[in-house]
Amino acid sequence: MGAYVIRRLGYGAIVVFGVLFLLFILFFTVTSPDDIARKALGERVPPAVVEQWKINHGYDKPLFPAPGQWADNMLVEHYRRMLTFDFGRSDADDTPILERIRKGMGPSLALTIPLFVLSLLVAIPLALLVAFFRETYIDRAGVILAVLAMSVSVLLYIIGAQYLVGKVLHWFPISGFDSNPQVVVRFLALPIMIGVANGLGGDIRFYRTVFLEESNTDYVRTARAKGCGEVRIMSRHVFRNSLIPLLTRIVVAIPFLFTGSLLLESFFGIPGLGAITVDAIQGNDFSVLRTMVYIGSLLFVVGQILTDLSYALVDPRVRLE
Amino acid sequence: MNLKSIHSGARGLGWIALWALALLACNNNPYPATEGDEKVLYSSFREAPRSLDPAVAYDTGAHAITGSVYDTLLEYHYLKRPYELIPGLATNLPSQRPGDPGYTVYRFDLRPGMMYENDPAFALDEPGRTTREIVAADVAFELCRLADPAVNSPVVEPFSNIQGFQDFGQALTQRREDPAFADLPVQDQYASLGGISGVRSVGDHGLEVAVRSDYPQIQYWFAMPFTSPVPWEAVAFYDGQEGRPRFADHPVASGPYRLDQYDRQSRMVLEANPNWYGAMHPEWAAPGAVYPSEGAPGDLEAGLLAPEWVGQSLPFIDRVEFRREKESIPYFNKFLQGYYDAAGVIKESFDQVIDEGGLSEEMAEMGIRLEKGVEPTIFYIGFNLDDETVGRPGGGPARKLRQAMSLVVDSQEYTRIFTNGRGIPAQSPLPPGLFGYDDGYENPYRQVDLERARELMVEAGYPEGIDPATGKPLTLSFDTYDTSAQGMLQYRFFTDAWRQLGINVKVEATNYNQFQEKVRNGAYQIFMWGWVADYPDPENFLFLLWSDLARSKSGGPNTANFMDDRFDALYLSMKSRPNGPERQKEIREMRQILEVERPWIELFHREDYALFQGWLENVKPFGMSFPMTKYRDLDPAARASHREDWNQPVVWPIWVGLALVIVLIVPGVVTFMRERQ
Repeated sequence: MGAYVIRRLGYGAIVVFGVLFLLFILFFTVTSPDDIARKALGERVPPAVVEQWKINHGYDKPLFPAPGQWADNMLVEHYRRMLTFDFGRSDADDTPILERIRKGMGPSLALTIPLFVLSLLVAIPLALLVAFFRETYIDRAGVILAVLAMSVSVLLYIIGAQYLVGKVLHWFPISGFDSNPQVVVRFLALPIMIGVANGLGGDIRFYRTVFLEESNTDYVRTARAKGCGEVRIMSRHVFRNSLIPLLTRIVVAIPFLFTGSLLLESFFGIPGLGAITVDAIQGNDFSVLRTMVYIGSLLFVVGQILTDLSYALVDPRVRLE
Repeated sequence: MNLKSIHSGARGLGWIALWALALLACNNNPYPATEGDEKVLYSSFREAPRSLDPAVAYDTGAHAITGSVYDTLLEYHYLKRPYELIPGLATNLPSQRPGDPGYTVYRFDLRPGMMYENDPAFALDEPGRTTREIVAADVAFELCRLADPAVNSPVVEPFSNIQGFQDFGQALTQRREDPAFADLPVQDQYASLGGISGVRSVGDHGLEVAVRSDYPQIQYWFAMPFTSPVPWEAVAFYDGQEGRPRFADHPVASGPYRLDQYDRQSRMVLEANPNWYGAMHPEWAAPGAVYPSEGAPGDLEAGLLAPEWVGQSLPFIDRVEFRREKESIPYFNKFLQGYYDAAGVIKESFDQVIDEGGLSEEMAEMGIRLEKGVEPTIFYIGFNLDDETVGRPGGGPARKLRQAMSLVVDSQEYTRIFTNGRGIPAQSPLPPGLFGYDDGYENPYRQVDLERARELMVEAGYPEGIDPATGKPLTLSFDTYDTSAQGMLQYRFFTDAWRQLGINVKVEATNYNQFQEKVRNGAYQIFMWGWVADYPDPENFLFLLWSDLARSKSGGPNTANFMDDRFDALYLSMKSRPNGPERQKEIREMRQILEVERPWIELFHREDYALFQGWLENVKPFGMSFPMTKYRDLDPAARASHREDWNQPVVWPIWVGLALVIVLIVPGVVTFMRERQ
């Protein structure tokens, strides 16, 4: 298993190196450092100010290695900074990027962890319920509702819920965030509800399919023949044996809890990493955007490895070699 | 106690905790309950300011903070219109005396005994010290920062009128080539160069600034945070190193408020500054530290001069909370729920809020007030007067062509369609509220008159818009860098108007860089532009047509390349003249020149519609982006009462939902179980 992990880490490193190279090409050759500087400073600033800004941000060196400058160029600097997590400062407002990430992680996790756990707690029992009542009107209605829920844009969920729950029913604040323990639950309740509702349709359909597939297997038929109760079959046997496909979906999502939710954070004004990413896109903040894409690729690799490891943990038959 | 009862107790506690959590959550109040009785003003921001450095910050968002935390030598009277300067940190308006030839020396006297807000930066010079007195050298230091190219201040150009200002900036650049000099702290660098030659501290509280005599408008800049006193210790201490924030994120100032919290992503909080001179020395009753006793006509009737406020020490509000609101609809809905004290009118809710130019009945019933204020702005269509067809080389016929084109553009209709009517049609470059604006003036070429326009087209040599040289409709280009669908619709409005005269105007939309390139090369005919005043003086609008600043001549903001000797002479005379009948006469003559020459088709002056809750008091729109928070007051009890009335949770849908679930699920479960059995 150790060898397997090392091999996967090696593959992951290659992916990350590739992503970093693509990022460099996209962010420094398609958009030149001069363009980045002018977007940050405005179009009318004198050239001397642009040059000074480029020096301050490390954009004044040659792009690629050249004779005599094998180490002192932007490509090498880009790799050095990213791999050592020295992300530098924001192009837009000069704040240290690492500090922003550190500050943004709390609100993101405050949103995504309950959202993730609640989604599982709601979707898996509901999927089990629908599978339990298979081929009844509850099953058919459940599937239709799930398809409907999947078809509705998350924007409609957000705007509709803000209007209905926040404006008309006055249950929760329409938007905003405050880390004050007295009020933080109020701010997170609505985005979590929306996040759960938005993911519910797809989750129920997926889990239902997995459970139904499992409930048609021979050992389940044997259990039924032996007089085992339906509830016991679903919870003890079907659910436990469906864990591998479930884990594929669940474990790979765990690392992305750190990056937050782009739309929910943006619409609800939650100052997490998702909102920081959206702000960076809107504000042409290339250095922050570069960093967030890099972090996303790292988390993707971590997610893949964790998923593989989790197979071995839940199914003794799986051997990672 | 047996195990079962422990289990049962734990379960009960769990349920209680769950319900408590639900009750805590089931409330739409975004603020802690403890804030209900405090005099806290709730406001919002969309994007965090890029910088709070007073030498750099130049946008409205930043000014909402810097304008409250940085006090200035002069400031504007809150109520009087036209705008009037009053002393702030200075004891009086500056005295003037002749300086070197061509220069006038302005003398400011700072009030002795004023202190900065408490800050650890002051320990840099003297361990244990948390504040110190504001001295004239701090203003001189800030002026040096404006001249410093490394600071990258956006207002170098107007301050270049100070004697030695540019030389100081150049000397700094040269000396910094020496690494030993460049490594010195900036205050030592400035000191070693002797500061700006035209800026001199006289003792601790006297400041003399030598400015070109033809630029008396410099006084307005001393009412802006660019010229606030800045302690050198703050700039040296807050360098972004070793965990310290940058000075751009950590103001150290002397205004009525201090920045208490600054989270760029979610929240900014100002709190009353106990070290502010108005708070420390109410006995001074300084003009900028007490509520005014005089105002403009109508202010008394509007309740703005009520005895409970006149002469009272400022500020009335203890704390200002800015919460981030990126989306306009949730922000406006929170205003309607009483969680913000003021709001703009968003276009999505315009019809709900405004009815025939006034407040809708629904809003009025909630006690909300609508305040309108014309901003010192001008939006206009300009002609490139270097162009052969529409400009000077075309002579009289080109002038008549411009006049004809001006006569068919309906500003009233334009603002109705594109700005929800928020804007008043412009008759000249000068907006209301400024000296020289004439309320009764009607520009004969800005009244829609299609017949007269067609006659002028004939006189211009383009009967029915036909160009005799080609025998086809006259074709002109409208150059812009706005490629959005909304922009295209706006330009279509103009091109349709000109099509009535038979003129075919093509919209040439490019990106900003290409547009700039066209402007640099003079390859444009018609463009649309706007101007927002830096200060309320007619000079700040009329300079846009001064020939020395023509784009083709000097790269200046006179993009129309208007050049008229008589206009220039009047401009230079008017510029350095104090407000009075002579200046008024000159402005009138300049206006007449523009009326006939038509370098611009004046469109509109932007009008700001702002909504205020009934519990917010002393509100008068200011027009310019100066936060006048210190003059405002509010009634927290009335606010709490309204919030409670407006935000009662509606719970019946929960019971309906539960009933629905039971009705739908139970029969299915029962049937299923029966079938299974």
